[in-house]
Amino acid sequence: MTPTLEARSLVVMRDGAAVLNDVSFAIAPGEVFALLGGNGAGKSTTLLTFLGFLQPTAGDVLVAGRSVGDDVEAARAKIAYLPEAASLYGHLNAYENLGYFLDLAGRKVSRAALDAALDQVALPTEARQRRMQSYSKGMRQKTAIALALLRDTPILLLDEPTSGLDPVAIDEFHAMVQALAAAGRTVLMVTHDVYGACQVADRVGLLRGGRLVGSFAASDAGGRIDTETVHAAFAAREAA
Amino acid sequence: MNALLREARFLAKDRGAVLWIVLALLLSAAATGFGIAEVREQRQTIAALLAEDAKDRANAISKHDAWGDAAYDAFHLTYAPPSDFAFAALGQRDTAPWLHRVRMLSLESQIHEADTANADFGLIGRFDFAFLAAAVAPLLLILLLHDLRAGERVAGRHDWLVASAGTPRRLWLPRAGVRFGGLALALLVPFWIGAAIEGAGFGAALAASALVVGSLAAWWAIIAVVGRRNASPPALLAALVGIWLMLALLIPAAARAGIEAAVPVPDGAEILMLQRDAVNDAWDKPKAATMTPFLARHPEWRALGTVEKPFEWKWYYAFQQVGDQQAEPIVTAYRQGRLARDRAAGWAALLSPAALTERGLERLAGTDTRAMIAYEDRVRAFHARLRAFHYPLFFRDPPYDPVVLDGLPRYDPAP
Ligand SMILES: Nc1ncnc2c1ncn2[C@@H]1O[C@H](COP(=O)(O)OP(=O)(O)OP(=O)(O)O)[C@@H](O)[C@H]1O
Ligand SMILES: [Mg+2]
Repeated sequence: MTPTLEARSLVVMRDGAAVLNDVSFAIAPGEVFALLGGNGAGKSTTLLTFLGFLQPTAGDVLVAGRSVGDDVEAARAKIAYLPEAASLYGHLNAYENLGYFLDLAGRKVSRAALDAALDQVALPTEARQRRMQSYSKGMRQKTAIALALLRDTPILLLDEPTSGLDPVAIDEFHAMVQALAAAGRTVLMVTHDVYGACQVADRVGLLRGGRLVGSFAASDAGGRIDTETVHAAFAAREAA
Repeated sequence: MNALLREARFLAKDRGAVLWIVLALLLSAAATGFGIAEVREQRQTIAALLAEDAKDRANAISKHDAWGDAAYDAFHLTYAPPSDFAFAALGQRDTAPWLHRVRMLSLESQIHEADTANADFGLIGRFDFAFLAAAVAPLLLILLLHDLRAGERVAGRHDWLVASAGTPRRLWLPRAGVRFGGLALALLVPFWIGAAIEGAGFGAALAASALVVGSLAAWWAIIAVVGRRNASPPALLAALVGIWLMLALLIPAAARAGIEAAVPVPDGAEILMLQRDAVNDAWDKPKAATMTPFLARHPEWRALGTVEKPFEWKWYYAFQQVGDQQAEPIVTAYRQGRLARDRAAGWAALLSPAALTERGLERLAGTDTRAMIAYEDRVRAFHARLRAFHYPLFFRDPPYDPVVLDGLPRYDPAP
């Protein structure tokens, strides 16, 4: 089966330095892959390369079996992207922001569907008509997650999606991701949260200094990746 | 279409951008209003003088009983009425004279009396639509477009937006386009209303609109190229304002200074002095010093060209004409010099979209240097008809009959 997302011996240079170095992985349809790593490990860079904003210096990135460089537009059309520190327009309310971004992506979505997605992320109803500059960090993040859901794409690239969310919201988010995967969506998610990654992902990749230095699959560990093992590997590598 | 609607709604919520567009609308309304008020005032000045013109002349003539005296006191109004498009570009009408009261004396000093300051080149003209569209509008466009990309980059939204849109074009083109269109409409709508009020021709209004949109599009291209750079919004703004200063103000000013240095033009005041001296000297010179050059020009009066008395009108008016003949080289140099400067300014304008636009609008409005010189030439042609009418009266000297003067040539302002 063709992997939905694939990195092949990927090398990416930024400002003359190799930020990703010989990174290879493949993510199957319906799989949740969590990319774990410290600050500056190259996680966001990986996502930006799949989106075609950075070009591989060597190797390749493929979306649905097709090199991103061959047709960036087609790759982007399949992907809902949630950037790190996602900031929607402060002078617009949640509906206007979602409407704008969805329209930009060529999607027309009813008010009811917007409300359904905002219900899903538990954004308070009274807040939805307010300008987003009055939102808390978590409320903004929830709105951005709702946007990713509303895009209704086969692939989701999520950069630190749980940052700013409270523990209840994080649990709800994980349930949501698993439901998406169950419905056949492929999720590549970047995080610092070892516990969360192990809880939600089918596979965890450990990125360090631009190299993929570890990979942990739930299937190898009887359905659930062991947090302790991953945490130890993460800490060891960070110390190295 | 859908993208334009989306961006129009988005723009409507962007208070800063809306403010600049509203400001453009107000400035355009003000510039159009000023322009219309100015040309109306000019028309009123002309109408008021025109109403008195024939009466004043009849009044002056009635006091006399000789051809020469009557000619001496009879003033004739000459003028270049503003075109129905002049409100948009007052151009040289601001500095060059467009109205004279001439009589049978030496003409050139009468023409150039008003422009002794030789103010052909004002640095910044009056605040009219042409100045707004050519020089101010690009600055507003810069304010609207400079941080389109950079602003989103700073907000951390750039990649998110482009990833959503699929391609950068699908986002930036409609987003910039709507702002561009908003600014263009804010500038043009008051202008169109002004053109309708003034009854300006559809073709001229259309050409002017195309010129304004075209020059703004050139600025858009400049902004797009600079705005693509990975710099902060304030840095981009500073760079673009610098380019604007260069293209809209410094290059035209430097070109003007360079042209004035490179193409010498005699001072208008010189014509005045030379001619006054020529006329004053004529009194003391032998009659032949006047009549010989005069008759060389007018051989038809040779038979009647001898002056016997100490004062004869034919001699008096002959030396007025000889004053013009003596001024001819300097007048020609003045005329040619101004045209040469204007041609050079036309070439220099290729370096500045602002100068190019302003010149284009002045051309359409008939307020450019060429139009003002064409008016001077109309005054000369009229004065020549006046002389042709009077010379038979001075030389043949039939018995004075004021009815003959009803046949005096009339100035026709039509180009
Ligand atoms: N715009 C940029 N230009 C040049 N180098 C960059 C740029 N952004 C990031 N880098 C470098 O690329 C490397 C990887 O950065 P990246 O943003 O991918 O890390 P990350 O794993 O997402 O880190 P974090 O957890 O802090 O978000 C870092 O060394 C960083 O300095
Ligand atoms: Mg990152």
